[in-house]
Amino acid sequence: MFIESFLQATVAGLTVGAIYGLTCVGLALIFGIMRVINFAQGDFMMVGMYLAVGLSALLASAGLAAPFVAALLVAPVLFIAGALLHRFLVSRTTGLQSVGLSADGHQAQLILTLGIALVLQNGAMILLGSTPLAVVSPLSSSAWEVPLMYDDFSTLFLNKARTIGAVVSLGVALVLFRLIRTTHLGKSLRASADNPEAATYMGIDVDRAHRIAFGLGTAVAGVAGGLIVLSYPVQPFVGTEFVIIMYAGVVLGGIGSITGAFWGGMVIGLVQQLSILVLPLQLQNTLVFLVFVLILLLRPQGLFGRSVERA
Amino acid sequence: MLKVENLEVRYGGSQALRGTSLEVRAGELVAVVGPNGAGKTTLFKAISGTVPATGRVTFEGADLLAMPAKRRAHLGIAHVPEGRKIFPSMSVLENLEMGGSTDAGRAGRVRAFERIFAMFPILAERRAQLAGTLSGGQQQMLAIGRALASCPRLLMLDEPSMGLSPVMADTIFDAVREIRREGGVTILLVEQRVTDALEDCDRGYVLEGGRVVMSGPPSELSPEKLRRAYLGM
Repeated sequence: MFIESFLQATVAGLTVGAIYGLTCVGLALIFGIMRVINFAQGDFMMVGMYLAVGLSALLASAGLAAPFVAALLVAPVLFIAGALLHRFLVSRTTGLQSVGLSADGHQAQLILTLGIALVLQNGAMILLGSTPLAVVSPLSSSAWEVPLMYDDFSTLFLNKARTIGAVVSLGVALVLFRLIRTTHLGKSLRASADNPEAATYMGIDVDRAHRIAFGLGTAVAGVAGGLIVLSYPVQPFVGTEFVIIMYAGVVLGGIGSITGAFWGGMVIGLVQQLSILVLPLQLQNTLVFLVFVLILLLRPQGLFGRSVERA
Repeated sequence: MLKVENLEVRYGGSQALRGTSLEVRAGELVAVVGPNGAGKTTLFKAISGTVPATGRVTFEGADLLAMPAKRRAHLGIAHVPEGRKIFPSMSVLENLEMGGSTDAGRAGRVRAFERIFAMFPILAERRAQLAGTLSGGQQQMLAIGRALASCPRLLMLDEPSMGLSPVMADTIFDAVREIRREGGVTILLVEQRVTDALEDCDRGYVLEGGRVVMSGPPSELSPEKLRRAYLGM
């Protein structure tokens, strides 16, 4: 009996963790790579959740695939929104302009993104009200049943919506890893993050690189939101519930590592779901942060962080 | 090739350059020396466009100050910044690829990389290693290699020997001499090791308090005059 619930919680942890992982990848692009402290990341996700609700209603004719197509369609919309936000607001506190500022402009970023978060939250409140919305899909309330071989009656339930969501998350994350690791664009983003001044001397357009990274990070948050809204209802302040998890995942994985951020989110999902076995539901996040503190005590640079600053 | 006229740079209240003028002709090695705070690094940054400046800077006739910083590298100007400023979280090879992002660098990548690896075999050996884990001297080699990857016509070196052991500094100077011997690249060098810099250059400028106080071929920059510029005595 215990083995069954343990496996069940592990599977739930892996599927939730994959989506958390994707939200962390989005933040890793903005915070880990571009070193922009972004308080509004959870609220970008909230916007993605609302957009996905609307889009899947429009796409209803696509049948069961509609919510997932909707989640992916959020990406281009939020990419453009993120890039514009960067172009007109965030860029004033980042990049080359911030090199000489005190604390590299972090205080300005903090206040700015906190302001964006407040505008998004209260804007959503005015426009959409406080009633929680969710994507209604038959997949959310049905499961694949995997019989466990060690006896005749134990079965593992895989929630269909969450499992497909996890697979889509993994796919989106893999595409991003490849983009960042192997393409010239990805390398320019990393160079602009490592040293904006030197990147300029290479003829790289640092502002453009930051704008693209910010757009990508926003888009990823939106896609993750579109997947989460299948099993978690959206309301204007849902972002604050997730933004802490995102930062924890990025720090856990190691700042600057996109792959690490994904695994950081995965660890958080797993711990959260496994804690249900031993702790009351309300204490889920307590255990998450206990594990967080323990891992950082043992590996201050995070799971995948490399201490590269030597010179 | 490069002409700087009446360049002025202000940081907040203080003035780093006060009407600096100098000229670099094609094929030359020009050295800029001067005490700390004379404005040498600021001069380079103004040419590259990472500090706002007034005056006139032309590179082969093109007005640099009217052009955004990101375009200037594509004209054939490579800047090896003070303190190397390699990309620590990227591999040696990726650092070189970034240097080769310029229009000329993309076209001439294969030959440029062969040349860099022949000059600094250690970079070829460590091509997959993270640049941040290299020693200081190796990082300086990488910074120079990264600049060469852009296939530049003007190479600006800002204190390439800074923070290096004397032996390593000699290695770096040998590399600079080799680049010069191979030809095709004009060099503008800022250096603290005044004797080395002036020994090799065609012409030198002595910068003090943001102004050129002396200039000419090395023979005219006598030790007594230099001492006066540096120590005021």
